[in-house]
Amino acid sequence: MRLDFLERYSEGDGPLHRLDARLKLVVTIVYVVAVVATPIGWWRFLAAEGLLLAFLVGISGIPPGMLFRRWLGFFVLIGFLALVVAQSHPRRGELGMAALMLAILAKNSLAFLATLTLVNVTPFRTLLIAMRGLGMPALLVSTLQFMYRYLHVLTQELDRMVTARRARTFRRSGKLDWGLLTGLIGLLFLRSFERGERVHAAMLSRGWDGTIRTLDGPNGPAR
Amino acid sequence: MHVPDAVLTPAVAAATGALGVTGLWWGLKSLESRLGERTTVLMGTMSAFVFAAQMVNFPVGPLPISGHLLGGVLSAVMLGPWAGAVVIAAVLIVQCLLFGDGGLTALGANFVNMGLIGAVGGYAIYAPIRRAIGGRGGVLIGAMVAAWFSVLLASGAFALELAFSIGWTEFIRILTWMALVHAGIGLGEALITGLVLRFILLTRPDLVYQSEAETLADGRLRGWGQVVLAGLGIAVAIGVFLAPFASEHPDGLEFVGEKLGFLKGEAPAILPVPIPDYQVAKLFDAGHVKLATALAGLVGTVVVFTVGLGLARVFSRRTPDGIAPDAA
Repeated sequence: MRLDFLERYSEGDGPLHRLDARLKLVVTIVYVVAVVATPIGWWRFLAAEGLLLAFLVGISGIPPGMLFRRWLGFFVLIGFLALVVAQSHPRRGELGMAALMLAILAKNSLAFLATLTLVNVTPFRTLLIAMRGLGMPALLVSTLQFMYRYLHVLTQELDRMVTARRARTFRRSGKLDWGLLTGLIGLLFLRSFERGERVHAAMLSRGWDGTIRTLDGPNGPAR
Repeated sequence: MHVPDAVLTPAVAAATGALGVTGLWWGLKSLESRLGERTTVLMGTMSAFVFAAQMVNFPVGPLPISGHLLGGVLSAVMLGPWAGAVVIAAVLIVQCLLFGDGGLTALGANFVNMGLIGAVGGYAIYAPIRRAIGGRGGVLIGAMVAAWFSVLLASGAFALELAFSIGWTEFIRILTWMALVHAGIGLGEALITGLVLRFILLTRPDLVYQSEAETLADGRLRGWGQVVLAGLGIAVAIGVFLAPFASEHPDGLEFVGEKLGFLKGEAPAILPVPIPDYQVAKLFDAGHVKLATALAGLVGTVVVFTVGLGLARVFSRRTPDGIAPDAA
């Protein structure tokens, strides 16, 4: 359950990687809003938006195959919802079911791929600093910074607990039952909570006053 | 259950976004005044915990599907209603950006559904039940019932947001189907929440959140705010199941919508719609689905409550309160 795959290419050195993270964040949000606000039926406009994204992915150095694989998983989920929404859409009679579904799928896919492109050309910690730079409350940003730090620690802790359980229980299938799994979650809660208390005490002893200070700027780590 | 980008109209996305930002701002403010500089560390690690806990997949019998914990009610019970909402917000932001799970423009709607309704609304249902039953059993049963309702309420909120986006003609049908599907998901959530809480209550019962109102010696609620919140939570919970019945006429809600002005300037008024209402192919008769929903709601509540009672028996069988037996 390693989370490395999420932003594997974010530490690269492509032309998009070097841009100011604040700019990238704003552009992504504007792009997603534009895609979402594109009226159904403006196919040329939607195609132009798709080409723009394809161009950006092309120069970014992100392997398109990776984006495609992530998109496949997303497609299954969104397909079902597109079916439900298209079926009861007020303009179904005018545009036809297929066109509506296509529009919903295309818009969502573009928004999804734009978000993935953003996090693969910007390390998440840099993105958080950019959010702070754009006026997001410091408390929320520092909470997210903390969360991101411990995300990897806790998923790896969970990994070790699952492995330890497997090593001690005989199962015909690889699946653990609900009692064991909820025990794992309960134990993970206690360990996370206690780890948080220890970290907090350690931070207090080093002068923690509620603000996270880093050397990173919105362009990434200080060089 | 994450709402993606292009499903809600920009107006609905903006409205839920504004509501979400206000809710989150309020939540962070109230947390900061309670926890001070501890907020960041506690919320950060707890958000990471919920994120990790959501990765544990629960097999659903012989079916080829698996479910996972959503964690809104669990974190609200352990940390308090607003802390629960902030945890959910952090999880949603990370999921949206790193996984593309839930749209960037639907972030507000997702937070309203799962954070404000799921965690804060869930706590509003949990608090009075906990008070009525009392003890560790009260915590367990209250949390399970709240977990079950919070999933249903979140699905109802999504149906409502969808109706504001694509019109009210199919609202009842979407609501009933959403409620039916989420009745199953809610049962899973209630069961997982209950089992996790039982583990925590057996090992570290002192970690469960105690609001200031509950520490009053005479056991009275401190302010009217909580009473109102609790009443509202329960009323809305019941409303979810009564909503399909409230409009036995197929166009009952449209009538209400017109009265309230929802449908004014709505697509049907401007564009000629060739398909009249309710002519779209139906899988089942609408009446049957309504009945099934209400039945599922009733049976589900009873099941969750009974299972909660069963799980809570472990507390009375063991040593008296205060001495936590070693469950590990």
